[in-house]
Amino acid sequence: MEITKKDVELSAKLAKMRVSEQEAVLYEAQLEALFKWVKELSAVNTDAVKLTNVNLSAHMRKDVAVSDPALAAELRHAFDEEQDGCAKVKKVL
Amino acid sequence: MMTVLEITKAVSSGAKTAEQITRESLAKIAELNPQINAFVEVFEADALAQAQAVDAKRARGEKLGALAGVPVAIKDNILYKGHKATCCSKMLENYVASYTSTVVEKLLAADAVIVGRTNMDEFAMGSTNQTSVYGPVKNPVNTECVPGGSSGGSAAAVAAGMVSVALGTDTGGSVRQPAGFCGVVGIKPGYGRISRYGVIAFASSADQVGILTANVADSAKVLEVLSGKDVHDSTSLEAPVPAYADLFTDGLKGVKVGLPKGFLDGLAEDIKQKMDEAAARLKELGAELVEVDVPHAKYAAPCYYIITSAEASSNLGRYDGIRYGYADNAAKDLNAYYEGSRAPFGLEVKKRLIIGTYALTSQRYEECFVKAMKVRELIREDFKKAFEKVDVLLTPTSPTTAFKLGQHDEDPLSLYLADLYTCQGNIGGLAGVSVPFGKDAKGLPIGVQFYGPILKEEKILNAAYNLEKGL
Repeated sequence: MEITKKDVELSAKLAKMRVSEQEAVLYEAQLEALFKWVKELSAVNTDAVKLTNVNLSAHMRKDVAVSDPALAAELRHAFDEEQDGCAKVKKVL
Repeated sequence: MMTVLEITKAVSSGAKTAEQITRESLAKIAELNPQINAFVEVFEADALAQAQAVDAKRARGEKLGALAGVPVAIKDNILYKGHKATCCSKMLENYVASYTSTVVEKLLAADAVIVGRTNMDEFAMGSTNQTSVYGPVKNPVNTECVPGGSSGGSAAAVAAGMVSVALGTDTGGSVRQPAGFCGVVGIKPGYGRISRYGVIAFASSADQVGILTANVADSAKVLEVLSGKDVHDSTSLEAPVPAYADLFTDGLKGVKVGLPKGFLDGLAEDIKQKMDEAAARLKELGAELVEVDVPHAKYAAPCYYIITSAEASSNLGRYDGIRYGYADNAAKDLNAYYEGSRAPFGLEVKKRLIIGTYALTSQRYEECFVKAMKVRELIREDFKKAFEKVDVLLTPTSPTTAFKLGQHDEDPLSLYLADLYTCQGNIGGLAGVSVPFGKDAKGLPIGVQFYGPILKEEKILNAAYNLEKGL
């Protein structure tokens, strides 16, 4: 399992973190060693193991629009402010 | 420092007041903390007020709690309303808990006195206590050495006699390894025995609150107070909580102690020798020694680093400057805001978040994360089978004794291997206790560990109690 500096930078970006050039080089070497070690797991026969809790689709759910007006109003009231029939969230930036 | 049992006896009989004991603890902290750096904050005024309340309760003739007047330290990732909980990270340097964790609620209900919060590796990621933003903790046995981690401050506080009890958390050995390095007792109960409500999450499938004390009987007493189902933590288990110390036996007749095959291979000679001595001692005490096979346990450490880093990458997503943590208000756009707000994470935390994120990418998910989860199942199955044959397992706590500060800085993978024996307990969901058993040639403490099945903490405590008693 080869790890490149680009993998480090991409993973950091996915984790919403900035890594310096120096950090990326350091992490590349350290992750390379770690994942070589992790590679040992591939020697283990896990064909018979059935997992029940890592099926991503089992944890996904569709967005369902609320059609009940009373429930919609109740949800809007849970927010501090409303605008144009919608809940208004706080400005972040 | 007096033991838990000595303190509760003295306070209930009136031989000493809780305030006197608290003042002794505070004085010891003031004397030693500048060298040891175990505490990052002392709650002096609150502690004295709690102690005075215990004394007033006694004066009114009311029944005192099970830990009346006992000074307790809490790790800096355990919430106590109105007090800072920073995980020893710059990310949470100004975070003040808005509610109290179940474990602290239970301590207060038992009339314990919370004296302060202890140093730790940043976000509990480390085994040396060198990644704390407050600086490293020094091992009280030898201040040139690390105390272990991540609950290094808690272990050092007990070892130095600053408190009788300290709480830590244990995700891969963070209570037991520092207990071993500092020469104190550290127990991580089985997953679900103690509520995690109000404990800042690192890896939710492995995190557990653990207890550090000077002796096994004290750990048993505190475990009895903290255990039990909590409506705020759905992973806490509904099961009766025994009076653990009442189940101690004189000797180990009829107890089967498992010695896992190959576990001593490659160990430092003095630790190996102590393991042999411990096994011989258990036999003298009446235990039957049985060799058992846990063939997949050797894979626990790589599984641990993938699974816990993956969970951490999700759990620590909340530190984005909006929900929790530092906020980079000078950022010009949303991406810069997130990246700037997450910049205070230290090097080790960032690394683990990158590992976890990488292991969860669509390209690596099956190969890394799913594979590690599957191997974890095999490890659990191995332990389950082993506990059909034996009551407890005997293993080393760590492959080495405490090492010098900075010794492994250039080779972090060698540090990860130091968790080899302890992370098996978290991956397997087992109960584990480290108990001191002599010293190495340099005079540093050696810990031995007992593992037991979930909800069978009494078995490991009894084995540890008997081994300790013979020293």
